[in-house]
Amino acid sequence: MKVVGARIPRYDGVAHVTGRTTYVDDVRVPGTLWAKACRSPHHHAAITSIDTSKAESMPGVHAVITWKDVPLLEYGHLSALGIPADEPLLARDEVRYLGQPIALVAAASEAQAAAAVDAIEVGFEERPALLDVRQAFDADAPKIHQWGNWYPHFENEMDRRQIRKGDIDWAFENADTIVQGVYRPAAIEHAPVETQVCQVVPEPDGRLTIYSCTQALYFSLGVVAAHLQQPLNRFKLVGGTTGGGFGGKVDTATETMTCLLVLKSGRPVKWRWTREEEFLCSSTRAPWHMELATAVTKDGWILGQKMLTLHDSGAYARFSPYGLTKHSFHHTGAYSIPNLHFDGYVVFTNRTPTTAMRGFGVTSVSFAVETHLNRIANELGIDQVEIRMKNANRIGDTSPNGIAYTDPSTIDTLKAIADAIGHELPADYRTMTNEPRAGELLPEHLVSQVGSTEGH
Amino acid sequence: MNLTVNGVAREIDGSALAPLLDVLRDELGITGPKAGCHQGGCGSCTVLVDGEPRRSCLVPAGYAEGTQITTVEGMGPPEDLSPVQQAFVHYYAAQCGFCTSGMLLAAQAYIDRGGTDDPEAIQHALAGHVCRCTGYSKIIDAIAAAARGDSFDLTTTAVGKHTTMSNGGAA
Repeated sequence: MKVVGARIPRYDGVAHVTGRTTYVDDVRVPGTLWAKACRSPHHHAAITSIDTSKAESMPGVHAVITWKDVPLLEYGHLSALGIPADEPLLARDEVRYLGQPIALVAAASEAQAAAAVDAIEVGFEERPALLDVRQAFDADAPKIHQWGNWYPHFENEMDRRQIRKGDIDWAFENADTIVQGVYRPAAIEHAPVETQVCQVVPEPDGRLTIYSCTQALYFSLGVVAAHLQQPLNRFKLVGGTTGGGFGGKVDTATETMTCLLVLKSGRPVKWRWTREEEFLCSSTRAPWHMELATAVTKDGWILGQKMLTLHDSGAYARFSPYGLTKHSFHHTGAYSIPNLHFDGYVVFTNRTPTTAMRGFGVTSVSFAVETHLNRIANELGIDQVEIRMKNANRIGDTSPNGIAYTDPSTIDTLKAIADAIGHELPADYRTMTNEPRAGELLPEHLVSQVGSTEGH
Repeated sequence: MNLTVNGVAREIDGSALAPLLDVLRDELGITGPKAGCHQGGCGSCTVLVDGEPRRSCLVPAGYAEGTQITTVEGMGPPEDLSPVQQAFVHYYAAQCGFCTSGMLLAAQAYIDRGGTDDPEAIQHALAGHVCRCTGYSKIIDAIAAAARGDSFDLTTTAVGKHTTMSNGGAA
């Protein structure tokens, strides 16, 4: 135990303050070409033609790639789990979000690459775009994705993530009041100061060295190898130095397309997104639409909760089903609610595909649950901290998916918050701990949800 | 065109209108200044031009001819860190590190013109420098400590405002 409790200096601190940390953009490889992308100017359109002939003959241009150059065009971020793929690496006959890549150019200079991208001619027929998750969820909304607007591949090919616990009808029949609310946190761009970037170098033995800013090195290795239909040992990934990620560098954004440019040109290639591309085209945290109806008693017990969640996946699935699954397991927040009815959908829109960001899928539901608890407390005329402590998870309480908590910290956290903001608590709340429920804190309706912590 | 970078005179072939950032990074291989936005918005490309912080992505290289240009590489090598570099290490003021070189040069200029440990004055001096990781408070703490002339123990990290030793440094 030399490190726990010690204040150790960070291992990369000196490199950071002397400018010696090598980020991907700092890797220097002679003869490197610049990559630039031809991206969709429309939120949703059919592609009627792609003509790269002018671009190919422009000065400095070494390679132009389109969907025709990709050995396996569609490979999903969850394909390794056996889930079907929905997203083409480069758009073929349809674009579903503004900024979706259609073609890439590798040229001797950044300016030459940009000029060649401008010379690529793409014909479009615009289609109506759906930019709001609630509208896209409607049964009569135009279908914007090949699977329809609802992701259909949850376990047992269900079109939703569903949780049922206890007896929801009993809870709503026995409640003194039902409190309802709708919560809609917006999309957030991760905004790392280092934009998406990678540098790929062809090695004499035919392998490719990929300098990547990814947060998920081995994941990206699998995605690149799958699209290129080559064994993993053809690629060497160099990573670990990320100029800010926050979840936004989990998706494999640049590596595969840059590899294709290297294979076509035979030259090293760098693709560094502009700040504008980072904001317009990189993945974001999802917008969410959450509807809550909570059955409560007048003395502040939560008997049950119904929830509908719509997770805006953007144009393609990527990791959204995983995010929604985490969301569903956490959908009661830090509180014990014995009777639950949860339906969550991953809904496709014509927004930029969404992804992980600091607590994937969970921050949204925390926002909804905590805001909703204040609404419940205000409606009942009960203290906002006390209603939380009363319903807080304790040892033995079970999560929505039935896992018994062994050491939940909700009560300690709430006491610390009350202390920090100078909020007076009654004596019986000041002495509350997370010990298993008993006496007044174990009313009849909570008995059945208490589980065993054996074996944890 | 001749540029003097970190005390060394360098001859440049490129256009006088090329951004100083690109000349430093791509022609001279000096990669401390970072290309965070290429539009003057993030501060990560900041260098000192005759001691004044400048966004090198907005400065034409020709403008810097005849000046003394300082990048983070000119501040202090690992074995001889300047006080403000030491402060950033000790206060954990760098997380991913991408904005750090720009922050350090702005901080150095602030201290060189007699800046104090007043947090508001430091915030003003650092305005326009974007850090997406730290939340800024450790950066401000570090610059304040350097401005005071504190000495730093680089074998450990400073205790923050919201941490105590008694709980092992946990928040």
